[in-house]
Amino acid sequence: MQELTRSNTAQPAQRRDTIASRAGSNPSAIWRSVRVHGMMLLSVMPIIYMVVWLVISSVYNYNSGILSWENWRFLVEPIRYQGISFPLIWPIVLNTVIFGLTVTFLELVIATPTAYALSRLDFVGKASLLKFLFIMRSFPSITLLITTFFILLQLGLINTMAGVILVTVAGALPGHAYILKGFFDDVPWDLEWSALVDGCSRFSAFYQVVLPAVRSGIAAIAVFAFTGAYGEWLLIRTFIFTNDQLTLAGYMAKLITDEERILNYGLITAIGVFYTLPIAIFYILTQGFLMQANIGGRRLS
Amino acid sequence: MSVQRLQRHLYPYLFLLPFILLATLFFVVPAGATIWMAFTDLDASMSPDLVGLENFARLASDPYLLGIVGVTTLFTFFSLMLVLVLGLALAIGSQYMVRSRQAGVFYRTIWLIPSVMPSVVYVAFWKYVFDPSEAGLVNSFLVDVAGFATPISFVTRYALPIVVLATGIAGASGGMIIFSAAINAMPQDLFKAARIDGASDWSIITDLILPWLRWPIMYVTVSEAIGLMATYYFILLLTGGGPVFDSTTLALYSYRMAFGSLRYGYGAALSLIVVGISLVLTLIMLRLFDFDALLHSSRIDL
Repeated sequence: MQELTRSNTAQPAQRRDTIASRAGSNPSAIWRSVRVHGMMLLSVMPIIYMVVWLVISSVYNYNSGILSWENWRFLVEPIRYQGISFPLIWPIVLNTVIFGLTVTFLELVIATPTAYALSRLDFVGKASLLKFLFIMRSFPSITLLITTFFILLQLGLINTMAGVILVTVAGALPGHAYILKGFFDDVPWDLEWSALVDGCSRFSAFYQVVLPAVRSGIAAIAVFAFTGAYGEWLLIRTFIFTNDQLTLAGYMAKLITDEERILNYGLITAIGVFYTLPIAIFYILTQGFLMQANIGGRRLS
Repeated sequence: MSVQRLQRHLYPYLFLLPFILLATLFFVVPAGATIWMAFTDLDASMSPDLVGLENFARLASDPYLLGIVGVTTLFTFFSLMLVLVLGLALAIGSQYMVRSRQAGVFYRTIWLIPSVMPSVVYVAFWKYVFDPSEAGLVNSFLVDVAGFATPISFVTRYALPIVVLATGIAGASGGMIIFSAAINAMPQDLFKAARIDGASDWSIITDLILPWLRWPIMYVTVSEAIGLMATYYFILLLTGGGPVFDSTTLALYSYRMAFGSLRYGYGAALSLIVVGISLVLTLIMLRLFDFDALLHSSRIDL
């Protein structure tokens, strides 16, 4: 979506001008514009409805038909839903923050040196490693879930946050290392050479000169990593069995899949809004900087 | 070899070590283990024995298999069509048909929501739309306005179309992003020339924009085909693959066999087939999108 946003700002003015001077001048152009906007508006209606529904439903009592904060009581007391009692939300929020930050930290610490080596260093097996990275990036690792389960079992990491963190990081790493490699590729060699001439070691040239030059790439990866971890529910649902270890995404996933249908939309949408709002704000705040970071059409989740 | 030279040779691998460790542990080993497990009878008793091709023989006589292959094909095909057609329509609509820049941005921003919002919340909305009671959006309309006597239990009757709709709309949102970026990169002279020649909107779309989008369309087709065939995020959340196996694709069948019925060996055999198809599609993508070229323009996702 970076390209999307960029496209809006980088649009050459001339095309719009010529088009604007034509449109509106004759009735058929106006009629065309009405039809086009009619279609587009029609297409966005369901999505707008969805957002409005989420917000209103979260403060709506489906039994009495009045608006109330009743649905938001999950903030102050543990909920019972369909006969199962769930832990209070705040420890879950804490899990979510710890999970998101740890995944982000590990991804940065591992992806950065990997991307640097792939971009800058020569070593035996580089071409095959790049090929392997590319396959890993496109290959759906979800197909390996069954054996991953047994590996975690062997490592004693099943039903632990640490296990899910490792699998999440491993899954996201190829794609993110690949993006970051592109940023390293764009740093001019002259920069590194002049550092070496000035007496830097190879490592301090990396650390003090090249690394600061890819700041925006690293920040972008951090945003992707955190948003990805925030939305991750399948690994949590498959590898975590105790409710007090859930993250918000896993908690939501459990609530909406335990029964055939959702019995209390008020409660579910209240928790849904509570869960979505922080990441929506985070997303809007980081858009401006991601636009500058100038990365190709990446999706966040 | 001197110590210094040895150091210089090892230096790159120090940078790569954590990545190689993780990739081995959670990619190479599971891939190898899937092959091994597919030939064992591993189940809840946790005592695996090699049973040769038994899992595959059982697969051939599985009464559900035909239905599941059918569901997989229908789900992949129709979701893909929805992603391509709707994604293209939205991109062309907002980038070309809509003349005002601000309006185009507005439509695209709204259409971004299905693919960037958390999937668990997105699915909750679909559950509400097709809820089998009068609480559901469609049913409340049918009963209150259209005068139906009883609500329709959509999820039991139309599970597959519903998961196609939910998956396809989220996918179209992602496709739109790629297509509209490509349309935006088109040289404006092309449009000017076409206009001077008096070309209609329709011929600008079919003769100019669509040919220009050939590669992005190809890319979205192959990568979405892999994703749709091998993943089941929305299906698992929406219907769990039910009723019975009515909306279960092959990949989800493998998941349900392993984690639902605890028949890990059989699940692994099923996932081996999915892995095989995904690998073939991944390699096709590698070939189509010229691996070397991709390596050199790694900042672009196309």
